[in-house]
Amino acid sequence: MRRLIFAFTTGVMLVAAPAAFAQTVGYADAIKILAASCGKDIDTYCKSATLANNGISKCLEKNQSKLSEQCNADRLTVTALIQARLAAQAEVPQLCQRDAAQYCKGVKAGAGHVLRCLLKAQPSVSKKCNTAIDLAGYR
Amino acid sequence: MNKLLLAGLSAAFLAVSASGLAAQTKLSRNEIINSLQGAQQKVDLTADELQQAALENIRKYPGANAPNTLPLADKLASLRQFNVEITFDFDSARIRPASYETIGLIADALHTPYLQGQTFFIVGHTDAKGAREYNLELSLKRAQAVREALVTTFRVPGEYLFAVGLGEEQLRDPSKPDAAINRRVQLINLGYR
Repeated sequence: MRRLIFAFTTGVMLVAAPAAFAQTVGYADAIKILAASCGKDIDTYCKSATLANNGISKCLEKNQSKLSEQCNADRLTVTALIQARLAAQAEVPQLCQRDAAQYCKGVKAGAGHVLRCLLKAQPSVSKKCNTAIDLAGYR
Repeated sequence: MNKLLLAGLSAAFLAVSASGLAAQTKLSRNEIINSLQGAQQKVDLTADELQQAALENIRKYPGANAPNTLPLADKLASLRQFNVEITFDFDSARIRPASYETIGLIADALHTPYLQGQTFFIVGHTDAKGAREYNLELSLKRAQAVREALVTTFRVPGEYLFAVGLGEEQLRDPSKPDAAINRRVQLINLGYR
């Protein structure tokens, strides 16, 4: 079952992916699957849960025995998609460290300055860093 | 097994057709980015000051409807901003599933380097139906709900996001105070701090 869901997750990502490398999807594309597949269940079982603090996902998990089959399959996919994008974004500073030192010397740290510099320097930036930026949805 | 795979496929196609549509008519991440980026000036205005100004407007000019716009309206109007429609449960700050995608788009936009590091107000507005102070409170709770969802579930850095509720004190279309166009969430770029 676990494996099946993962296989399915990759399927969604490959089909929905806009760019050649992108194997993650944006938060909007992930969370809209939850609204489409679980909207009814959310209104029935999660009337007092909110989107903050993953409240909806937690409530669905608690009520999983009552949910539609579609919702039960997709809620796990959505969680995995969001986690994948969060992880991809968290990895960028490390994967681009060398490029930042080389092409963005003297650029102020923080507030996105280095990332904006790396976007501009795309033609020179290493494939590793450019891919990390793609996966993070930063372009 | 077969059923599961089919469910997977239909979800995949759903994702594709929906993003295809998004390019033409629906709200997109880049539309939000383009409207918000390029803050020119540094603005000395805190969320608390704006919230306080709205409350003072009610105290100073009581009545069913606000007689004039907020003193700060001109200052706000000159800033990079974007209006989105987010639907909530009736009389509540609970975001409806129909608006999850919009919250996700805002998260996608705010995470990009184009908007990183800039300070944003998330401003809730109501129409003019109902008591002004009540509307102020409800719109603040709704703006806070949007902020909370962005900061926790989608991990947008919270130190740059501030929730404000302006109730019916700054109608988008004062000639139609009860119209739906007034019910909105406004994102305003306050620039780098």
